[in-house]
Amino acid sequence: MKHILLIPVSFLWLLAFLLPSWALAQEVVSGTVTAQSNGEPLPGVNVVLKGTSTGTITDAEGTYRLNISGENPVLVFSYIGYISQEMAINNQSEINITLAEDLQTLSEVVVVGYGTQEKRDVTGAVSSVKGNQIQNLPVAGATQALQGRAAGVNVVRNGGAPGNTGSIRIRGTGTVNNADPLVVIDGVPAGSINDVNPNDIASIEILKDASASAIYGTRAANGVVIITTKRGDFEQPIRFSVSGYTGVSNAINTIDVLDAPTLAELKRERYLNDGIEINPIWEDPQYQTQRTNWQDELLGQGSTRNLDLSVSGGGASSSFVLSGGYYDEDGMIKNSYFRRLSLRLNSDHKVGERFRIGESLQLTTQKGNTPNTLSAQTGVLWSAIRFHPGLPVRLEDGTYGSSQVSGEFGDINNPIFTVDTDDLNETRHRLLGNISGEYQIVEGLKLKANFGLDAYIRDLYNFEIIIDKQIRARSRNALTREYEEFYSFLSEYFLSYDKTLAEKHQIGFVGGYTSQTFNTDGFRARKLDFPDESSAQRYLNAGGTLSEIGGGRSYDALASWFGRATYNFDERYLLTATFRADGSSKFAEGNKWGSFPAFSLGWRISEEDFFQNVGWISNLKLTGGWGQLGNQNVARLQYLALINSGIRYSFGGNAVVGAAQGRVPNPDISWETAEMTNIGLDIGVMDNQLLANINYFIKDTRDMLLAPPIIGSIGNAQIPDQNVGSLRNQGLEIELSYQKSTGDFTYAFSGNASFISNEVTKLYDGNFLASQRYGRPNQEISRTYEGQPIATFYGWRTDGLYQTAEEIQNDPNIANDPRKAEGLILPGDVRFIDLNDDGLIDEEDREILGSPHPDMVYGLNADLTYKGFDLSLFFLGNAGISIYNADRMQGIDPTYPFNMYAETVNRWTGPNTSNTIPRMTTKRDNLNHRTSDLFIEKGDFFRLKNLVLGYTLPSSLMEKAGLTKARVFVTGQNVFTITGYSGLDPELGYTDGNLQINVDYAQYPQARTWTLGASITF
Amino acid sequence: MKYIISGFIVIILLFQLISCNDDLLESTPYAQSTSASFWRNGDDAVAAANAMYEPLLWEDFYGHGEQTFDICSDDQWRAGDHGEDQAIEEFTFDADNPQLAFSWRPKYEVISRANAVLINVPEIDMDQTLKNRVLGEAHFMRGFMYWRFVVLYGGVPLILEQDVLDNNYNKPRATTEDTYAQIEADWLEAAALLPASYDGENLGRPSQGTAWGFLTKLYVYQENWAKAIEFGSQVVNGPYALAGSYGDNFNIATENNSEMLFAVQCLDGWAGSTHHIYTTPRPWGGWDFHEPIQDLVDEFEANDPRLDYTVFKVGDTVNLGGDQGPTVYTPDLSQTGYHFRKYASWRATGGLDDGQNIPILRAADVYLLVAEAKIRSGQSGDAEINAVRQRAGLPPLSNATIEDLIHERRMELAGENQRHQDLIRWDKANIVDIVALYQQDRGPLKPPRNFQRPKHYLFAIPQREIDLSNGVLEQNPGY
Repeated sequence: MKHILLIPVSFLWLLAFLLPSWALAQEVVSGTVTAQSNGEPLPGVNVVLKGTSTGTITDAEGTYRLNISGENPVLVFSYIGYISQEMAINNQSEINITLAEDLQTLSEVVVVGYGTQEKRDVTGAVSSVKGNQIQNLPVAGATQALQGRAAGVNVVRNGGAPGNTGSIRIRGTGTVNNADPLVVIDGVPAGSINDVNPNDIASIEILKDASASAIYGTRAANGVVIITTKRGDFEQPIRFSVSGYTGVSNAINTIDVLDAPTLAELKRERYLNDGIEINPIWEDPQYQTQRTNWQDELLGQGSTRNLDLSVSGGGASSSFVLSGGYYDEDGMIKNSYFRRLSLRLNSDHKVGERFRIGESLQLTTQKGNTPNTLSAQTGVLWSAIRFHPGLPVRLEDGTYGSSQVSGEFGDINNPIFTVDTDDLNETRHRLLGNISGEYQIVEGLKLKANFGLDAYIRDLYNFEIIIDKQIRARSRNALTREYEEFYSFLSEYFLSYDKTLAEKHQIGFVGGYTSQTFNTDGFRARKLDFPDESSAQRYLNAGGTLSEIGGGRSYDALASWFGRATYNFDERYLLTATFRADGSSKFAEGNKWGSFPAFSLGWRISEEDFFQNVGWISNLKLTGGWGQLGNQNVARLQYLALINSGIRYSFGGNAVVGAAQGRVPNPDISWETAEMTNIGLDIGVMDNQLLANINYFIKDTRDMLLAPPIIGSIGNAQIPDQNVGSLRNQGLEIELSYQKSTGDFTYAFSGNASFISNEVTKLYDGNFLASQRYGRPNQEISRTYEGQPIATFYGWRTDGLYQTAEEIQNDPNIANDPRKAEGLILPGDVRFIDLNDDGLIDEEDREILGSPHPDMVYGLNADLTYKGFDLSLFFLGNAGISIYNADRMQGIDPTYPFNMYAETVNRWTGPNTSNTIPRMTTKRDNLNHRTSDLFIEKGDFFRLKNLVLGYTLPSSLMEKAGLTKARVFVTGQNVFTITGYSGLDPELGYTDGNLQINVDYAQYPQARTWTLGASITF
Repeated sequence: MKYIISGFIVIILLFQLISCNDDLLESTPYAQSTSASFWRNGDDAVAAANAMYEPLLWEDFYGHGEQTFDICSDDQWRAGDHGEDQAIEEFTFDADNPQLAFSWRPKYEVISRANAVLINVPEIDMDQTLKNRVLGEAHFMRGFMYWRFVVLYGGVPLILEQDVLDNNYNKPRATTEDTYAQIEADWLEAAALLPASYDGENLGRPSQGTAWGFLTKLYVYQENWAKAIEFGSQVVNGPYALAGSYGDNFNIATENNSEMLFAVQCLDGWAGSTHHIYTTPRPWGGWDFHEPIQDLVDEFEANDPRLDYTVFKVGDTVNLGGDQGPTVYTPDLSQTGYHFRKYASWRATGGLDDGQNIPILRAADVYLLVAEAKIRSGQSGDAEINAVRQRAGLPPLSNATIEDLIHERRMELAGENQRHQDLIRWDKANIVDIVALYQQDRGPLKPPRNFQRPKHYLFAIPQREIDLSNGVLEQNPGY
């Protein structure tokens, strides 16, 4: 691997060092920005050539380097928490500057699509997260680090498996289809952000409303996340920095389950209650000895290691950053891991006065495995909760304990056996890069071109052994390999123009053309019957029987024309108008193109003369915007009636293949459109020590692509999506921040909260969308209905347990229920509510039981600095949220042949012994554990997500050691959680696209992680 | 300056390259046909016909779902750990029970594939004999699906060629009579188009005899004795002789014999199903469902060799192949003491062999249907019933009664998904009292069950289908 990487890297190094000789030094200004308080270099400072969108960011050493042009150029230095400074260049080539701390942050530059804007001029809703806020957190990817950092940006963690960083939802779930935002990495729209080493990130901007994101029209309906990675600076000596951390992670809690003697007692009680002979296995003392706590065996200690090295520097006309990182996380569950090796080279070159060229290149290799924790039949944690506690991990002869001894123990394999013998991994090699050029035609007018490549090779390996000593047996071993190449080409050309007329009229324009193609090409092979299962023989050549071989190809493309015009009158009135026309290969001729306009207005009230005497308000800006966005992220070729060939059957022992139509075509399929209105208010008080940003939005998705739940008489063919649904998200987002510095002590507090409501306003024919069913009995839990949020819980209402036979006889809920007459409902059974008043309990008595969506998602951040010490606390919370605890529903259900939750000892055993945990029985006549409100729990939580305590060594000491900076730090993840939720973890995430969320399947829980690290720059 | 110019040239050239590419937004279905490019020739027609059978393999269909409808019978206990099964077995299910829905869509998928053949194959320019066969197969399969529907649920929406062309899928239920009429029409057409039998590589496709056999069954259900005897006799007298040994039908080497009118065809390593896994003990690689009960075993006459082919019982030695080799069936393997033996065999190298077919219609079944038609219409069914008994090595009967017939069907077809429907049929004709039969206490695993007449003659239409139809589909009475 290393040798493969060396070739392009050495080539680019060569390029980086050759190019400087071409350039002219006079066009460059460089220098170092330091903090006035302690003389420390300030990384991440925005340095902008005034009146243009040309700008850069200081690197980790506080140095910058910027190409300048124009008459009497002036540099503007700005940084969060510091007073901005302007400095005329006056032919100097080096300008060093110190910034005083302040809370004025309005002149910060934010990256928007195809350019940058000063924050004060932004009229759309944009949130910004700086790279230094997420440096060295023990997280696998930036998604995880974004959680709770910005209002309206909800990162839903889908469990805590290594490498599983979660799903981003910007301003609610905008569609039942793929609701992931568009991710743009250094100008290349490029899928996952989790390949990017979080320590390479300079800033993350989140474009939330239509006005901000419409320039990415086609793919912007779910918002846009723009990742800008760190770049080198011109005229900067070579600097090296090394940082690393290592730590351990442990389970936060486990489910209390019955021990072996109590389990046997309750199992016997089932038979006694039912009048059935007790299965002798439950009398056998051998299985009444407590042997194993399976969750403790399964959930061990995980570990995380990370090492980053970077070199940066620059000459007069070239600059670069070269960084390499290695992240290695072993999960709490054995054989679950995620490793990423990343290499990045970013460089910028000036060729003559007017031409700039730059490139970003990222190479990553990641490899991981996650055991199945999402199945209520085979999930390993699900199994550990239920596996018989009287069985040993291993028997004396070394073989694994097995429930094969009796069907009474359920069809669960020993979960330790499962993870020990799991031989599955997925490797992904990815190359993401772009080359961009910029040519200044005349002052203010630039032609830019950007060519990007995003490519990966995904390689899946899965060897399945023969299982004959466990109850879920597998009679033939098999090896599956899948190999897929993906490559995407981007090319775009655009003009930008910035001009100030008559001092008060600033106009700006960006417009151009972009196209991107997406290709996959892959194959898959599977062989059975490997005579030897030793690791050296687990390759396809060693397999006996060819079971499957196949491959295919896919192609998608987008082409777009886009433009954005901005107008700023006297820093008081702001206007942004955006237009994008997009063509997508996903749709048939005639439906390919969609157009997406947007505009927004801003009024900086605090700049008005009449406002100048309102002393305590230092900044007040009102913005409003409207726009349309598109979503085409749906299955391709749905306008064609595709034939599935290769359908397997046989006649008389001879293999044959068949072909059948696999999908009904929809020739009219077209774009989903999201229409969004946004009103925003920026307020700064007390000289901007306290800043508030408040946004209210309404986002209507229409023409939502839905595969209508079609009546079964159509068969199993895939139903094409149709543009029929609509959905509304609306909400309020609040961001507050307060910073103050007194002497050596600096503190900053910030918080954000989002209140977003989601309502499906139209579905096909007023029907509902069904979702994945739970476990063996296929229990329906989530349904999506018109007039309700996505993925509500759906089931029966309950009213305690029947305590006496009289209660059953007199209960109007079951007055006409034949089960009552047949004596099938007994005291200790659940009293279900007869919602339709027909005197019997059936499926007509179900209703919506609750919403899995939080009323409020919030984050709180505190940063405290005293001399060399820094402490950062980041809290995350969800409020007003429900969870369906399906694991508990099954965990207290005695009709399964499994172990049960420890709380089952509090079961009903006679009048008034329990009103919540039904009696022990083997019968399902009353379906006590059907989907009901008994298993809905509040999922609110408040969690100390991150704690970082650091100490930066004093500079005097540093100089002696020849270092620029050295810092040691301790971080904690999920340090504590306050929640009333009884399950393993309240962050459960999605389990069936967007149609099921917050259902507890005993997902891989998040761990508590502590790490220790250091970073050194020299 | 030269860099600037060359930079510009490169950019402009690249721009030309992209903007000239008019096909950028054209998508191609790589490695896939579309219905517009399919249906070219006889090979396509045969491929489309082959696809009709594949859903039979699915776990939701004959791999398990369809078989579970017979756990109601008095032959077996459901066993296994499918929570929904208890309610099915004990008649306490409601329309939301997932078992009711498992095989609903697969049946319509077969119908959809059959309709595609019936719509498109007539237009193909191909060998007429082959075309007839393919069309005959499609008629047979469509009729077969509606047959399974009508037996389980009564009349269902009849989706035919014109409905497909009109995209008309949300239809009200046809009456039972109309559904029977459609089945009869399809099977008569199939019988006219299909060949009498097949050579090696097509063994297992439905033949003329398959269609006749099913027609016989249809007419018996309709109590149309004359037609049942007419069509059944064509099977009895046709090239569909009973296999030499009863066991040949349940042995991979001999399963495609002349008696086997229709079976789900399985091939190890290529296209297998799951019924054989469901019916075998867990330690033997199975999932332990459908355990036969003592009541069934007790009904076998002394020395009826069919018992040994039908069940595994304590003391039997079974060669499980591989490391396990010959293994004795012990009491702990089963709650009832038995497992069905008909569907499973083991590879010499160990592990269940996925190549064992799932029989659906055997000529022996048709013999007994003819015998029943004769007995119930006042004629002698001795010839047919004795043919079945003699093959089993049992003494012939004379003047066999309906009770003899009921006994013989139970023995011959045990575990072959017939018993519950046979009992319903006889109950309707006042030959048996299914309510009393199911009220019998057959031990803790098979307690008295409350069969409600006429509600439980039919299963409930899956609730989900009713919901999805927006009220177009009406539920069966009593649910």
